[in-house]
Amino acid sequence: MSVAKSLWFAVVLLLLVVLQYTLRPVLAWRAPIDFLTIALLLVAVRARPGVAAAAGFALGLLADSLTPDAFGAGALAMTIVGFGASWLKAAFFADNIALNGIFVFLGKWAFDLIFLVAERRLQGTDLLVQAVLWSPISAAATALMGLLVLLAVRPVLGAPRA
Amino acid sequence: MAACCVAAFLCLVFPATARNSAAAKLRGSLVAPLAALQQKAELSRRSFLGHDAAVEIADSVTLRSLRLVGVEEENERLRRLLGLASAVKWGFIPAEALQGRGLGDETTITLSAGKFAGVEPLSPVVVSEGLVGMVERVDNSLSLAIIWPHPDFRVSAMTADGSAFGIVRAHPGQGASRYLLELQGVPLRAQLKPGTLVVASGLGGVYPKGVPIGTVQQEIRTPEGYARSYLVRPAVRLQDVTSVMIVKPARVRAGIENVWARGVAADSAIKGVVAAGDSARRDSTRRDVSRRDSVRRDSVRRDSVRRDSVRRDTVRRVP
Repeated sequence: MSVAKSLWFAVVLLLLVVLQYTLRPVLAWRAPIDFLTIALLLVAVRARPGVAAAAGFALGLLADSLTPDAFGAGALAMTIVGFGASWLKAAFFADNIALNGIFVFLGKWAFDLIFLVAERRLQGTDLLVQAVLWSPISAAATALMGLLVLLAVRPVLGAPRA
Repeated sequence: MAACCVAAFLCLVFPATARNSAAAKLRGSLVAPLAALQQKAELSRRSFLGHDAAVEIADSVTLRSLRLVGVEEENERLRRLLGLASAVKWGFIPAEALQGRGLGDETTITLSAGKFAGVEPLSPVVVSEGLVGMVERVDNSLSLAIIWPHPDFRVSAMTADGSAFGIVRAHPGQGASRYLLELQGVPLRAQLKPGTLVVASGLGGVYPKGVPIGTVQQEIRTPEGYARSYLVRPAVRLQDVTSVMIVKPARVRAGIENVWARGVAADSAIKGVVAAGDSARRDSTRRDVSRRDSVRRDSVRRDSVRRDSVRRDTVRRVP
């Protein structure tokens, strides 16, 4: 990746992080869009699994610092999702819109499931409703937004390498 | 990957104090701008959501304050009328003036008291400011009065000091001057200055002597060369007339000329009423605002009942 492209990529990542802390609170949806997950997946498809895991850990810690009760849960979930996404990118991140959407959807849902288990705050029915109802909705919203972001950045950054 | 997972796991299992301290360090450094952004975003959302409610509150406060001005003015008029009633003492019938404010209603008003309350035709209608008109027709429970803009309205009048006499009638002008009166037949030797108070002279026996009619505004030129005519600004603003007193002919004959002249006595009576009203106001402010309208409606009903009893009393007290 050239320097210019790297800069653009950094700007896009920074924009996604800013959106996480500006647009998301403004929308305040019950099933919110997770811009950090989109950022992580963008990194994951362009980096090696180890780097993606480290990026996930950093982004997770960033998010966890504002939710001290679940400190570490986000980092763990992001690490696993980042690593897994980077490992599976060859299978999923082909030049296909639907596959890309499913990739983001699964990434976000996996993140939520790991986070919910690691956090140990919700239990029983609440955990079930969150895991099988709200998390998939949130994952779908995130997937839609992820597709928009991918379509927007692809002309500049190009398709990720398999 | 393994190192990151272990680090994350350690973050999860660390004691709460250590986790909080680590989170606080992140919040105070790297995440601080993001936290500030989030705070501003949430404030924006709150202000966006609260905007409509804030506008509604501001509107209702404005509306309430506008209503309050009207209520205060009405209170002031009612207090003055109460002061007048305490000065007249007997021989009057309180009534509400029902102004249609439509075509044909500009020169008459309907009064909420009729034959059953003891109203008789040719009874003068007054308020604390002065003369309003005269009862023309009386039904069982309502009566119709002509008011000063009526073409048939005539009052034998004089200046307050008795230096000049004349007849007051509606000024047959156009536009704004239509709502003025005209003092006619003033002797040539009597030159009145603007601001001179004109009162009913009591001649003719319909209007009691001393009731204010208005103040001289300016002299007007008329074809008659033997007398002067003056434009008179009415003492009573018809749009403010809501509650009136119908003075019974017997009371007119007994004379009430000192009532309006006794400004001090009337003022003291008004002050007494104001003091009573203030204490009542203090009590009423403690009540719930939302119940005010219903309470007011109830009080209006009670007032009408009380007014009937007052009417009966005043009728009974007629000598």
